[in-house]
Amino acid sequence: MAAAWLLCAALFSSAFCSSGAASFTRHLSVELNPGAPAPHAGGDLLHVRALGDNDTLHFLFCSQGAPTLLLVHTRVTSSYVSVDWERFLSRNASGSLRVEPVSSIVSSTALVFSRLLEYDDVNNTADMPDELFPPYELRNITWSAMELSGAAARLCGAVAQGSICLHLSVFDGEGRDEIWPRLLHTANSSQVAVQLNGLLPRSQRSRFLLELHSVGGVYPLNTVRVHRSIDDEFTPSIFKVSEWTSGTNESSCDGCGFVLWKQVAYRHSPPALEDASPCRHTEPRRQSGGALAEAGGLALAFFATEGDEPDGVFGLNISFGMAGEPFYDATKFLSWTALVGVGLPPSDTFSPLVAAIMAVGLGAPLIILLVGGVYVCLRKRSVSSASGYEPIN
Amino acid sequence: MADIEEDRGLLAADAGEEDSLPGVEESGHVGTPLPAICDPAHVLHRVVVLVFMCFLGFGSYFCYDNPASLQTEVLQDLNLNTAKFMQLYAWYSWPNVILCFFGGFLIDRVFGIRLGTIIFSLFVCIGQLIFATGALVNRFWLMEIGRFIFGIGGESLAVAQNTYAVNWFKGKELNLVFGLQLSMARLGSTVNMNIMGWVYSKVTLLLGAPGHTTLGCSFMIAAVTCIFSLTCALVLAFLDKRAEKILQKEQGKTGEVIQLTDVKDFPLPLWIIFIICVCYYVAIFPFIGLGQVFFIEKFDFSPAEARAVNSIVYIISAPASPVLGFVVDKIGRNVIWVMCAVCTTLASHMMLAFTFWTPWIGMSLLGLSYSLLACALWPMVAFVVPEHQLGTAYGFMQSVQNLGLALIAMAAGAILDSRGYLFLQVFFCSCICIALVAVVMLYFVDYLRGGDLNRSAAARAKLLKEATSEAENTRRPSQLTEGDVARLSPMSAFGLRNCHLSRFGAQLPHHCSGHLSSLAHRSVLK
Repeated sequence: MAAAWLLCAALFSSAFCSSGAASFTRHLSVELNPGAPAPHAGGDLLHVRALGDNDTLHFLFCSQGAPTLLLVHTRVTSSYVSVDWERFLSRNASGSLRVEPVSSIVSSTALVFSRLLEYDDVNNTADMPDELFPPYELRNITWSAMELSGAAARLCGAVAQGSICLHLSVFDGEGRDEIWPRLLHTANSSQVAVQLNGLLPRSQRSRFLLELHSVGGVYPLNTVRVHRSIDDEFTPSIFKVSEWTSGTNESSCDGCGFVLWKQVAYRHSPPALEDASPCRHTEPRRQSGGALAEAGGLALAFFATEGDEPDGVFGLNISFGMAGEPFYDATKFLSWTALVGVGLPPSDTFSPLVAAIMAVGLGAPLIILLVGGVYVCLRKRSVSSASGYEPIN
Repeated sequence: MADIEEDRGLLAADAGEEDSLPGVEESGHVGTPLPAICDPAHVLHRVVVLVFMCFLGFGSYFCYDNPASLQTEVLQDLNLNTAKFMQLYAWYSWPNVILCFFGGFLIDRVFGIRLGTIIFSLFVCIGQLIFATGALVNRFWLMEIGRFIFGIGGESLAVAQNTYAVNWFKGKELNLVFGLQLSMARLGSTVNMNIMGWVYSKVTLLLGAPGHTTLGCSFMIAAVTCIFSLTCALVLAFLDKRAEKILQKEQGKTGEVIQLTDVKDFPLPLWIIFIICVCYYVAIFPFIGLGQVFFIEKFDFSPAEARAVNSIVYIISAPASPVLGFVVDKIGRNVIWVMCAVCTTLASHMMLAFTFWTPWIGMSLLGLSYSLLACALWPMVAFVVPEHQLGTAYGFMQSVQNLGLALIAMAAGAILDSRGYLFLQVFFCSCICIALVAVVMLYFVDYLRGGDLNRSAAARAKLLKEATSEAENTRRPSQLTEGDVARLSPMSAFGLRNCHLSRFGAQLPHHCSGHLSSLAHRSVLK
């Protein structure tokens, strides 16, 4: 019982005093196509500048080439983005986008959504076979114009008679998303949701994979850690969280980037428990030199300088569905959410409600036992101080 | 006549006794000996009857947990959410909120034990068939109706089974018989958990693809056990009628008297016992109902492993119940045992909720504590309530328990759908904590009222001896009231039956085993 009380106290303190470090806010300013000449074709560039007390976080989201989300962390409050639009729009110019002053950059991480793969799961085993259907290259899709709403942007492209949409949200403080998987975010992170809506599968037993590339300047994202957590309050029945990080010791890496997701995709919108489809990932693999040039767009513009490519490009696949789960054909909808940010990935804690229930539940019997024991002792003493004989009649 | 028959019934191993009783008719020849196995008074025949008696309840226990054993398949093939899935359990409990008051009445006054058993078995059979048909045609409302009908038969069948046992076996044999019936019940549940997955996979191979048709076929195959139980009921009815003719004894009765006006006389400790009963069992059965997917998702178990660990509660309860019952009866102090059981259950739920330790530990603890509580809690009712009110008390306890199960089953499904497993486990823990508060209060209330419930077995036996010897000695006025004496005296056949509700694994308190002398005394004391 004492051990249970201690556990409760621990729950309580963790619920209330958690994330003291990351509960700061940033000031956001949003601009679309900063400094661009008159309306142009070929993709939009969204720039969200998140100003902190003594640092700045630049979020850049671009639909030119493969859709890319780029985070640049600078240690000054006066950094800005400069784009050489002529070279940027020509699509294969490296170094056409710069964050000035370059010396103030602490870290930079990019997440590239490169390809959508599909395979025929003949035996319902969800094992990726050697032969896949020809992939959908996301850099070749025509993307719509970015729709802005506050610090969020929505980007959709038509593919296979359906659409693939990317929904980016940047946050100015700590909070939790409303829709499952209800990821916890801080001011240092942004959330990207990928939705595959109405695609025509090429077989009745099709399953999809999403290929992602990450480019991390000084600290490339080269490992994925899977955390098991007992808390599934915010994402019912999902106990595992995957973190794609640079694998270095966290304390030494102040501004390292991360990509975090819960191992679930939902087959319906809005999602319910029975629509949860587990997803798996492959190990990050170092990509060959030409990968960045292939992707084009933002990643190439920022990272590559004069034909010199960084060697920190890693790629992995997220595969949706497991053996026995319904195929894509069942609902023709898949939604997967990831958190992209810098610093320490936020970790979930118990909600105060859970801690309160356990505290009351465990405390009440203890208190009653104590009070009752005291009362009984007092009564015994008062009775024994009186005559010890029982009445005869 | 009745005494002679009773004596003959009590004499167990009379091998080769071939005298038939006076007045017996067999094939028209008076005095012709029957072969041992056909002689209703002979132990061999009664063993045969025992076999049929045990299998009578097998089908009902097998099919009760069918939804839990195929939880993933039911959810997927019928496109259900967890709240709707738990309706299948709620609908089983609803009819028993009212029916447990009438089970004894129906058996004693309306149908008789033989016809009553057949009717209840029929309900079980038809209910399961309708349930399977509902799955076949993918109509959920039909499955709910099937479970409702199944529920009408299921609980009343247990009453009938116990009445048969008390009718055919007396004295010390009754302990063994009840123990065997309990083991068969647990066997049915365990076999169901572990085999239905295999049945489903075989049917899938046969039909080509999983779906509601496969599910319906699997449930139909499960209904075979119900038909088997119905056959046992028919055979038992025939054997019982034959024995009645040969031995000239009366048709068995439950002896249950239900008077709802007695409720206002229930003492405070009894109400606390009701609370403990409700709050405890609502944290066990709905949890087992939802256990399979919990173990698959949180602990990465395979479906077969998850079913096996889900069934461990029943597997452990089968041997543990008789042993723990014996221990509790020998030592007494029921309230302390109940407190231990509730604390252990709380520990096991917290282990399953807050750690990743292998669930085999948690579930084994749960099985042990569940058996312990049944052995310690149900006999306490007999200590608190006079015998003429026992029927009402047990009926009320079961009614309230079924009501709690029905409501909490639905609530559990809804909680899981919206908040996930941790919150569900915390909810179950809070139910157990309420039970724990009730136990603590029961201890203090009982202590302040003289400590009847928490007496050791030795003290209770001494008190009983004093009470009977004092009552015999009419010169000295008895200090104990009639109510006290009635409370401490051994119980009637009905009391024996209600002591042991095989559904929940209670074991007969030691003083319940009726000796001739005690029965004689009891009739004097009345």
